[in-house]
Amino acid sequence: MKAMIEVTDLKKRYGDKQAVDGISFTVKKGEIFGILGPNGAGKTTTLEMMETLRPIDGGTVKIDGIDVSEDPQKIKYLIGVQPQTPAFQDKTKLIEVVEMFAAAYGEHVDPMEFLRDVELEEKANSYVESLSGGQKQRLSITTALVHGPKVFFLDEPTTGLDPQARRHLWELIEKVRAKGISVIMTTHYMDEAEVLCDRIAVMDNGKIVAIDTPKNLIQQLLKRGFSKKQHVEQANLEDVFIDLTGKGLRDGQ
Amino acid sequence: MKRSLYTVATFVKINTRRFFRDKLALFFSMGFPLIFLFVFGSLNSGNKNVSFNVAVINQSDSSFAKEFAKSASDNKVLKVNKDITTLDAAKEKMNKSELDATIVLPKDFGDVQKGSKTPSGQAEIVYTKNNEQSGQALSSVLQAQFKQINAKFVNVQEPFTVKTNELNEKSLSAFDYTFAGLLGFSIIGMGIFGPVNVFPELKKMGILRRLSTTPLRVWQYFLSTMIGQAIIGLISLTAMFIVAILVFHLQVVGNYFELGLFLVLGIITILGIGLALGGWAKNERQAAPLSNIIVFPMMFLSGTFFPRFLMPDWLQNLSGLLPLTPIIDGIRLIATEGKHLVDIAPQLGLIGIWLVVIYFIAFRVFRWE
Repeated sequence: MKAMIEVTDLKKRYGDKQAVDGISFTVKKGEIFGILGPNGAGKTTTLEMMETLRPIDGGTVKIDGIDVSEDPQKIKYLIGVQPQTPAFQDKTKLIEVVEMFAAAYGEHVDPMEFLRDVELEEKANSYVESLSGGQKQRLSITTALVHGPKVFFLDEPTTGLDPQARRHLWELIEKVRAKGISVIMTTHYMDEAEVLCDRIAVMDNGKIVAIDTPKNLIQQLLKRGFSKKQHVEQANLEDVFIDLTGKGLRDGQ
Repeated sequence: MKRSLYTVATFVKINTRRFFRDKLALFFSMGFPLIFLFVFGSLNSGNKNVSFNVAVINQSDSSFAKEFAKSASDNKVLKVNKDITTLDAAKEKMNKSELDATIVLPKDFGDVQKGSKTPSGQAEIVYTKNNEQSGQALSSVLQAQFKQINAKFVNVQEPFTVKTNELNEKSLSAFDYTFAGLLGFSIIGMGIFGPVNVFPELKKMGILRRLSTTPLRVWQYFLSTMIGQAIIGLISLTAMFIVAILVFHLQVVGNYFELGLFLVLGIITILGIGLALGGWAKNERQAAPLSNIIVFPMMFLSGTFFPRFLMPDWLQNLSGLLPLTPIIDGIRLIATEGKHLVDIAPQLGLIGIWLVVIYFIAFRVFRWE
C-alpha cells in the first residue's frame, strides 16, 4: 500500500539542542502510528513540524505526496490536529464551535452530525466551559475532522482522563481509523500504545531507536532473554477498577 | 473567494453573538463610556451659567437696603447663601472657597443723606486673594445693577453705551468638544483594550494556535474582527449619541449616514492599533505596558478629555498628527458643525495614511502563539 506520510531525515535544532536528529518513517493509509518516548525526546517537535506549526530545518515531510514546507496551506486541508490541551473560546455553544471550525476550511456542515459522532448531541446548545475534560477532548476530535482530513494528529490525547473516558477515546480513535484516516499519536501510556497502535516508533534524544508493531517489539525483547522479575497476574489493577466501576462514561458535572 | 468570505461571515456572526453573552465585555464597551458621558456631561453643562456663591450681609435698616438684598437673591447670577449673616462667618467660608465673595451693605446704605432727595450708599464687595477674578466680575455685575437703579433716580443722558447682540448662528459649546472626545475615548477602549486583553489570553490557551492549523488566513481573522468591532462600536456609539441628545441637548446638525461611515472608519483605524499590539504580544506582560505607553499619551494629546486648543501651539501641531486627533475632530466637524465628508478631506487623508501604516504593521507582527 502507498504511504500516506513519508518523513525523510527530518531535523530540528533549538539553540544547542538537536531536538529532532534526522528521523525517517512512513505511515500507511488507515494506520494508527504511535510515537513514544520520554519527555524532551522530540515527539511534540516532530508532530509540530508535520502540522506546519514549526519551520523544518532539514529533511522533508510529505503528506499524500505534498511537501509540507513547500505548500503548507494545501497541507492544512489534509490534516486534522488535536492539541495536547484542547481549549475553546468561552461563551460559545458546541454547535457554534463546530460551525466555526468548518467555516475555517470554507465548509458548511451540519454540526449536529459531528456532535453525534462523539456523543455530544445532548450538549449541543451548552457553552464549552460547561464540558468535562473528556468531553472537551471529544469535541476537539470532532472539530479536527469537520473537513474530512486524510491524516489526524493527536498529542497525548488521554493525559488526565479517567479510565472510562480513556477507553471511550480509544474507541473513537479506532472509529477514525475505520474511516481510512491515518492517525499519528503520541502517548506516555504503554498500555494505550499496545491496545491502539498498529505500529510504534520509540524516540529518544531526537532519534528513533526502534520502529515496529507492538507485538514484534515485545517479541524482540523476549528473544534477547528478557524476563520480568515479578510473576504476572492474569488481571491488573485497572481491570479491577473497570470491573468495579463499569465502562460507562462519567460526564456528570 | 466566496468560500473565504463565508469563513469571515461565520466568524463575525458567532463572535458577535459571544460578545453579547459576555456581561463584562458589554459593561466595559457600552456601560463604561456612558458613565463617563454622564460624569463629563454634567460637569460641562454646569459651566454654561456662570454664577457666584455669595453671602449678603445687610447692616442697614433702610427699606432700600432690604429691597436690594431681596433682589440680590432673585438674581440668576448670584447664588446667595442665606445661612450666613455675619462677616466673620462669611470670611471663614471664603477661606475655604465655599463662597466666592461677600456683599456688605453698610449701616448707612440706602439712607437719604442731608441735602439730597434720593437714597444713596456704597456697597462693599469682600473677597479673598484666591478669588480675585470672581470679586472683580461681581463688582461689574453690581455696578451694572446700580446703573439701572441710578437711572431711576437721576435722569442722565449717557453719551456712550453698549448694546449686546446675540448671533443666531450656533457656536460650539464646551459639551460639543467633550462629547467628541468621549466618543474617541470609547473608540480607544473598544479598539485597543479589547484585542490587547483578549489576544494574549487566546494565545495562552492555545486557541489561536489551534486555528493556525486550519487554512484560516490572518486577513480573514482580522477582517472578521474588524466587521464585528464596527457593528459593536456603532451600537455603543449610537447609545452615546442618544444619551447626549436626550440628556445633554446635543444638537446633531450633520448627516447621520456620513457620520456613521466616518465612525466606522475611525473604529477600524484604532482597532488596527489593538490588533498590532495584541497580535504581536505573546502574553499579557508584553501587551499591557506597551499598550499603556501608546494609549495614554494619545488619549490626552488627541483631546479626549479636554480640547486641544487649550494646549500650547507646538503641542497642538504635534498632537494634530496622532491618529485619534483627526477622528475626534472629524466627528465634531460632521456631527455638530454639519460638515460633509468632502469638507473634511484633510482629516480623511490623515486617517487614511494611518490606516495603511497601522495595518501594515499589524499584519507584519501578528503571531498565532
